[in-house]
Amino acid sequence: MRFFLLVLAFMVSGCATTQPGAVLRGDPLDVMFLQMMLPHHQQGVEMVALAEERAQNEELRMLAAAIEQTQATEADTMRGWLTSWGEPLTAPPDSHAGHGGMRESDPKEVERLSALRGAEFDQRLLNVMIAHQDDAVQMARWESGSGANQEVKDLAERIDKSRTAQIGMMRTFLDRG
Amino acid sequence: MKSRSRLALASLSATTAVVLAFIVPTTPAIAHGTMSDPASRVYTCKNEGPETPKSDACKAAVAAGGTQAYYDWNEVSLLEAGGRHRQLIPDGKLCSAGRDKYRGLDLQRADWPAKRVSPGSLTVTYHASAPHSNSNFEFYITRDGWNPTQPLRWSDLVHLQTFNGQNPSTFTNWTLNLPNRSGRHILYSIWQRVVGSNEAFYTCSDVDFGGGTTNPPTTTTTTQPPTTTTTTTQPPVGGTWAAGTTYSIGNRVTYGGVNYECQLAHTAIAGWEPPNTPALWRRL
Repeated sequence: MRFFLLVLAFMVSGCATTQPGAVLRGDPLDVMFLQMMLPHHQQGVEMVALAEERAQNEELRMLAAAIEQTQATEADTMRGWLTSWGEPLTAPPDSHAGHGGMRESDPKEVERLSALRGAEFDQRLLNVMIAHQDDAVQMARWESGSGANQEVKDLAERIDKSRTAQIGMMRTFLDRG
Repeated sequence: MKSRSRLALASLSATTAVVLAFIVPTTPAIAHGTMSDPASRVYTCKNEGPETPKSDACKAAVAAGGTQAYYDWNEVSLLEAGGRHRQLIPDGKLCSAGRDKYRGLDLQRADWPAKRVSPGSLTVTYHASAPHSNSNFEFYITRDGWNPTQPLRWSDLVHLQTFNGQNPSTFTNWTLNLPNRSGRHILYSIWQRVVGSNEAFYTCSDVDFGGGTTNPPTTTTTTQPPTTTTTTTQPPVGGTWAAGTTYSIGNRVTYGGVNYECQLAHTAIAGWEPPNTPALWRRL
């Protein structure tokens, strides 16, 4: 026990930016949602960023660029909340929270997409992004339904709406292609 | 044991240790799973290989909705279901749980790989890659006379049995009593988590009772889901922001009485209103 307390004391003093009292300001579910959403956003950004050089469909290129930029600013907002609550930006991998994350798109997917060009690329990106944003909608509805912080819930509502609309657009692109 | 938990704790930062103490009791950590026997559609196509489907049905499913669904075979779920299955999942989309990601699973075909079954007892197996305690499992079979080339509706399902308060392991078996049927049917299941999460999982397993001369209907009335047509319109100069409009850099709009200028060409959608998207709009 003594050993543990020493470790704890060392850890607390080691976290220069973390106020000991600040850690409880984020609701656990809000925190988990943000910690799950951040890497998910990052992966989405990585995939849509490939469109600029590879996509054939002009509308898809335009949508991809807008997704890339809007998700980047959303990520800034999310990081801002976690930081202000003294929370880590990512859940520790061995924690329950880390295990609880929705499956992120296969990291190999970026590799597979990178190898494609033109119509083949467009089709694969559209399908993969529909799936990716569909996961985002699920996480957003979880936060809107069970989260605590109103600002975080408002962001979740916007994520739900915008991703649902994006999926609709991407499905029309697929139907046309 | 004691020294082990000390080590584990030492590996976490104090912050996370404190936070974890708060999280653990209510953690909505997400479970994962699907029916492995009779194999659900997603399990079948995942086993064939997402990039190399073998059956015509899986090939068609991948063609219709891409491969990602089959990498994430254990997540045909709704995170906030909370028992509202019939409210949230529209008829015709029961196999995908109404999710676009899994839309390939809703294909109305009479050639999904099916397990041969007989009326009477059938042991089914659920593969939960992340099992969670306190769960209810409901099982249904399609009604007599149901046709696999028609959309699967809630009203097509006949309740077989529900197992409440289950603590599933990685592979959990239940024994069901199948009624008399002939030809192809769907064994449908709902796994509703009860404590600490509203998440529910849905599975469609094709089974064949044999003897079914399921006449292919002469007219396949495939109800096409209405595709949301994005009518891209030219923005009126100085008009009000409107979803569906394609804006170019420099276009100006008003939203909530405030003027904005477009920063990045895009088609406007709900959720991308100017005040919320500084990447797209600059307030004037």
